[in-house]
Amino acid sequence: MKKSYDVIVIGSGVVGSSIAYHLSESKSKEILTIDKDFPLSGTSGSTQAWVWVHNKTPAWYGELNMYSAELYPFLERKIGDVEYKRTGGIAPFFSESDRENALRLAEKQAEVGIKVEVLSRDEVLEKEPALSHNIAGATYSNIDGNVNPFRLIELYVRAARKNGAEFSFYNQVIDISKENGMFKVTTQDGEYFSNQLVLAGGPWSKSMGKLLGVDVPIKQVRGQIIVTEPLSPLLTHTIGGMRQADNGEVLVGYSKEEVGYDRRSTLDIIQDTARMAIDFVPALEKANVVRCFSGIRVMPEDGFPILGEIPGIENGYIAAMHSGITLSPLVGTLMTELLVDGETSIDLERYSLKRFNTIQSIG
Amino acid sequence: MDKSTIVCRCEEINIDEIESAINMGAHTFNDIKRLTRCGMGPCQAKFCMNLVRKIISEKTGQSLKDIKPPRMRVPLGVTRMSALASNKASSVASVFGESAEEGETDHEEEL
Repeated sequence: MKKSYDVIVIGSGVVGSSIAYHLSESKSKEILTIDKDFPLSGTSGSTQAWVWVHNKTPAWYGELNMYSAELYPFLERKIGDVEYKRTGGIAPFFSESDRENALRLAEKQAEVGIKVEVLSRDEVLEKEPALSHNIAGATYSNIDGNVNPFRLIELYVRAARKNGAEFSFYNQVIDISKENGMFKVTTQDGEYFSNQLVLAGGPWSKSMGKLLGVDVPIKQVRGQIIVTEPLSPLLTHTIGGMRQADNGEVLVGYSKEEVGYDRRSTLDIIQDTARMAIDFVPALEKANVVRCFSGIRVMPEDGFPILGEIPGIENGYIAAMHSGITLSPLVGTLMTELLVDGETSIDLERYSLKRFNTIQSIG
Repeated sequence: MDKSTIVCRCEEINIDEIESAINMGAHTFNDIKRLTRCGMGPCQAKFCMNLVRKIISEKTGQSLKDIKPPRMRVPLGVTRMSALASNKASSVASVFGESAEEGETDHEEEL
């Protein structure tokens, strides 16, 4: 393995792998991606992997998600079958009093071109007959869908390698410094140098930022998921809270706990998640549960992606966000524009780390 | 042994697929599992656990005792959803409920 690269990406989850892949497309950069474990061992491998747009607010943030969701069919042509399905997304509500909020959401999202429909109970049940008759209605958009996260990240890595990018797994980064204008990345397995550095550490972004003297204001939010045995086709849409995978298993969950990087399953949340499954889709009552898992969301303090240059660190970049699955095609594209051309086709000012007024100590 | 020999009966994963995951760089059961689905079926790796550990040991030269089994999770055997479900109202957040709050963006597709 070489020692010196144009770009080092730290983190090979969905965000880091997408950046490495999109950078490798230009074939103009020598790229090394380093991960302390293996792709899919963290957040990117413990997700329902919705490609979800329609009720992300404010509308400008929904818009970013929409552009990324629109890229998926093209991405799939380039890297291979990631089982992307634009199923349409249904977010049910159970009280008629929510309809007004739903209509307001539809109006706001329409301003940026996200088509949201507000459905009556009968319309929801016509689309998705397995949903509960207790539902009052739902918001719906045909832009939403889901993807197989295992295939997605594997194929980002394989495609990047095919383009000459290198990867180093099970290799923890211990220190980052600057020497003669280059980044020196000290890892468990040795030292590597690069002109540009991208932090894509997901839930570990905070400790990674500390190596550069930068505060990365993210929270770790645990979500717990239930997996059923493969069932015959039951759900045809991505539902806010659950989806059915190609192999028939249904994934259910939408819990949130701030418990640090603790990926245990706990019975109280599992019981509440099973309750929610039955409340949404009564037929799931008889389904067998095979497994539970949990993952740690990367949640910036204000909820929005942290994307772009690291203020005060020349040639240092960061990509830390929730919704990495939905956003990865666009984030990979924009970060490549930024690293190669120095400017992006969508203004990233709003997503800059600068907005948090963090203080930097090295440059 | 024939490379097409099935290792994981539930997901029908053969030796060749396990080796190909190892060749991609995966060196733990959990990492191989996510690439191949080996051990993700109804038996949750009860059958394939040691077969896969042995292949990892042979391919990577690690000692068998250093190769961890896959992570076990509740429920340890298949369990009806209705047996797990709480009788109280669920605390699990509503995706719609979050979009309704102006400026609130805490709704996740990921988990």
